[in-house]
Amino acid sequence: MHLDTFTVLAISSAISAILMLGTNHLRINLFFYCVHTLAIALETAWIAQRFHDTNLYWIAFFIILLKVIAIPKYLQWVMTKIDVESDVEPFIAAPLAMTIGVGMLGLSYLLSLQFSSLWTEVDSRMGAMAAISVFFTGVLLMLSRKIAVSQIIGFLVLENGIYLFALTQTHGMPLIIEMGLLLELLAIVMLSGLIVFRIKKSFEHIDVSRLTELRE
Amino acid sequence: MSEFFLTTGKWLSFGLFIFFLPPLMVGVLTKCKARLQNRIGAPIFQPFYDLGKLWRKGETVSQTTSWIFRGTAAINFSVMLVISMLLPWLSFKPYFAHADLILVIYLFALTRFFSVLAALDAGSAFGGFGASREVTLAMLVEPAIMLCLASLGCLYSTTDLNTIFTYDRVCTATQSALWLLAGTGLFLSSLVELSRMPIDDPTTHLELTMIHEAMILENSGPNLALTEFTHYLKMAVMWGLSAQCFLHALCYFVTINEFGRSLASLIMLLVVLIIVALIEGTAVKLQWKKVPEFIAFAIAMSLLCVFVVIAKS
Repeated sequence: MHLDTFTVLAISSAISAILMLGTNHLRINLFFYCVHTLAIALETAWIAQRFHDTNLYWIAFFIILLKVIAIPKYLQWVMTKIDVESDVEPFIAAPLAMTIGVGMLGLSYLLSLQFSSLWTEVDSRMGAMAAISVFFTGVLLMLSRKIAVSQIIGFLVLENGIYLFALTQTHGMPLIIEMGLLLELLAIVMLSGLIVFRIKKSFEHIDVSRLTELRE
Repeated sequence: MSEFFLTTGKWLSFGLFIFFLPPLMVGVLTKCKARLQNRIGAPIFQPFYDLGKLWRKGETVSQTTSWIFRGTAAINFSVMLVISMLLPWLSFKPYFAHADLILVIYLFALTRFFSVLAALDAGSAFGGFGASREVTLAMLVEPAIMLCLASLGCLYSTTDLNTIFTYDRVCTATQSALWLLAGTGLFLSSLVELSRMPIDDPTTHLELTMIHEAMILENSGPNLALTEFTHYLKMAVMWGLSAQCFLHALCYFVTINEFGRSLASLIMLLVVLIIVALIEGTAVKLQWKKVPEFIAFAIAMSLLCVFVVIAKS
């Protein structure tokens, strides 16, 4: 394993995603999400300056604007509105989930060794490792948490994992596709935020494990 | 002959640091905390006055105690002194002996063993409280310290901490990242080990919540002075060790000569103290149930260290 800026940024995004698993406090989760996404945006910008690709600069800019600033602000507003601070009794306790997350990082390292490096100058397998690990972390977040807001955060992390994989294995996708994806993501988060409001209004809680109960 | 004088001089100056730096650190820490809360605060030499006053005071010893209670302060003090001479917690520490990392961890455990025994020996209910909490925390935090130091040991294929923490080699980026992770892991576990803020409030004297203070509740006079000083020394050693880790991580970016390193180790110690003051100024004490969640961060850091070492080889 050789560390260069590419690998450091990829791995720091993976580690800050793993740290999200360690606490049930939603505001701290959102803070780590910001750090995690910022690392991904910087990775995009680094690849942009490496290949002199102006489109990737724009993508990095929009990631910072939408994912680092707008979406966390919106989710914070939702959390204040429905008055929820932290996740109660997740299916997997936070310390255990974080340890599993580190284990998943090891697993994704083993998986990434199966790939062949597509780039000549940097080891893109490290990017694949970080991306698979972020993906696993998102899945773990969605599986282990009960509150609907945590499910949204888990989904966002999972989406970041897919984006990071596409970014590090190819040299980034075309601008039009990325813009479409970002817009879609924004719409999904807005809609799910509104749905959380509705759930809170009609069920008086946002515990997804209790949503199967029928209610008049 | 001049060699002899040089070594003696080194040891004398290092001895001064062993005895004067720890209380000074605590003074600086309390001052920083006070300034953060918009208070003037006690002067930074206050811990010296406190220790001096305790040393002159009379002593009350419970009738039910045995020799363990009297001996513990002296035993812990001497073991801590040995640790402070073994561990490379300041860059200018002269070479003493082969500092095996497992030995050091067991020496720390030895001091804990005796303080727990002394707390139980006095027979007060709060002593038992504190002792049970201390042992629970130690059990959780020891793997983190062990894995952090052991992964550093694996990196340089030695268990001697003096060789691990030596500066005469070139640091690669991966090693620098490992030092950073290990330093963070050690720092987080030291907060637990020293019962500092997110785990235990060192300024409170509410017996139901405290850990370290509850164990030494029965001590008074010179006994208390010695126990307090031992705790200060432990603080200096553990934070000094994490400061050294951070310095090694910085080695990738800058190279400095020996004098600069000595100065840098003191400055880094000050930086660590300011970080602790910031944490203590802003964080609230965790519920007892939530403490394992905090320790999990230290354990995650140590597991990441292990991961880096495995991935590197």
